[in-house]
Amino acid sequence: MNNFTWFDGSIVGLYLLATMIAGIAVRKYVGNVEHFLIAGREMNVYLGIASLAATEFGVVTCMYTAQNGYEFGFAGATPGIITAAAMYLVGVTGFCVKPLRDARVITIPELFQKRFGDRIRWASGVVIVLGGLLNMGVFLRTGGEFLVLVAGFDIKYLEITMSVLLLSVAVYTILGGMLSVLVTDFLQFVVMSAGLIIVTILILSQVGWSTLTSTVTAHYGAGGFNPFVHPKMGWPYVLFNVFLNLAAVLTWQTTIARLLAAKDTPTGLKVYKGTSFFFVCRFLIPGIWGIAALAALSPAVVGGNTLQAMPKFLSTAVPSGLMGILIAAMIAADMSTDSSYMLTWGSVIYNDILAPFRKTRWSERRGLRWNRSIIALIGVFLLFYGLWYPLKGDLWTYLGVTGTIYLSSMSVLLIACSYWKRANSWGAGAAIIVGAIIPTGFLVLEQLPSTREAAAAIGPYFSGIATYLLTGAAMVIGSLLKPSPSEISPERVSR
Amino acid sequence: MMEHWFWLLLTVACVVWYSSVTIYVAVKGMRDIRTMLENIAAGSRVGSADDPPGDQSA
Repeated sequence: MNNFTWFDGSIVGLYLLATMIAGIAVRKYVGNVEHFLIAGREMNVYLGIASLAATEFGVVTCMYTAQNGYEFGFAGATPGIITAAAMYLVGVTGFCVKPLRDARVITIPELFQKRFGDRIRWASGVVIVLGGLLNMGVFLRTGGEFLVLVAGFDIKYLEITMSVLLLSVAVYTILGGMLSVLVTDFLQFVVMSAGLIIVTILILSQVGWSTLTSTVTAHYGAGGFNPFVHPKMGWPYVLFNVFLNLAAVLTWQTTIARLLAAKDTPTGLKVYKGTSFFFVCRFLIPGIWGIAALAALSPAVVGGNTLQAMPKFLSTAVPSGLMGILIAAMIAADMSTDSSYMLTWGSVIYNDILAPFRKTRWSERRGLRWNRSIIALIGVFLLFYGLWYPLKGDLWTYLGVTGTIYLSSMSVLLIACSYWKRANSWGAGAAIIVGAIIPTGFLVLEQLPSTREAAAAIGPYFSGIATYLLTGAAMVIGSLLKPSPSEISPERVSR
Repeated sequence: MMEHWFWLLLTVACVVWYSSVTIYVAVKGMRDIRTMLENIAAGSRVGSADDPPGDQSA
């Protein structure tokens, strides 16, 4: 049984119509590639905050952060607190992001080219796009599962529904690029926020704070409130998340894209500072929904898949009328993430991976055509890879591996590029290789029967920490091994 | 209730901050959108898509 009625459907329909109109209407302002990719660098603070918040909160985020609440209690919000602290500190100090924005580049690999050369730029682009696209591959199906569970859609319509949704997003993203993304993100931020706040207040009033805390205490004891004493978390979990989330704040291209689209560096830093606390909300609010599901649902109802606990809970807890707002909010969250991510990975493909093929300067018209085609192809890839061809195996391990390959190497390269004069292409190349080998190697160890126990003893957190530290070491050692320009003849000095 | 005051405080802060920011950003963001589109339109009137291409990466 669910509470999704025709009234709720009309709320959702109205929201979708408004989004499409807004997204398509701004296409007439797109005159060149810079407008298309980074809104001509005209984005101001409040639009930036809305866009960044909307982009970084999708249905998948809601599902796994709620799952964290269900499985770890309040301690499950730890990654959000760490991200908020990291983003605020980066916004205050300008660490890495100031040199990045001052360089007036469109993508991170473009900055790397200035220090490390064309090959490193190309390799970085490949790492970023692979990590990003593989990460994004699960969004559609997971989002569709949420809608099916909460709204009671027939599961046989899941693929069609999500395909229509993605096509809608693709239309305005292809036509209007970053301008459409920003405007629709803004609208989606308002709808998404309204839904999140209203449902949270409903849950807090229905379930009650005492019930939430007593449920967590009963299931997880003190560990449900303190990650350092939780048996499945502890300091390795916290330290790994410090590395992971700092790296994401510095180099996750969809986040950085807002910085690069800002009208100037101080505006970009204000966007970071202004948005930082949102990342606490990003984990804690759905986390509370997850804890409420833990309090309200029996294990038999939840079944073996704790990822579905929160949507199952919401399907019966949220009344009609409010259900429409919730569904619209979650669709808004998904659309803003999909549009931003498609544009972002498309921009790296165009700006960095295709850079070697742009031997002569392309006209703006040609550039726009290529960007639009790339986004269309990304949409096709997502439909087949992530929706119509269901992935098999342990998805979250797979995502963890691809995410760490991206974040470990790119963050090390960015820090070295920004602050260490001795950093060079040898160090950068070594960092990219080590950043790929360790997580992949750990994945292999986990799969092989002969090494499975050893991998379990090491655990994903120590493996992740080792990846960051060893990638940093590779950058240092590789750079020091290359003769410095003063040690070779002036004729042989090259970038 | 006071035993877990940190999480209670954080939860209240989330709801209050998020509600306030949503309204504030909604109002200010509308203005930002208008200014952004005006500036882009003004800049576009100076040139066109067929102009000699500038630095594609700048």
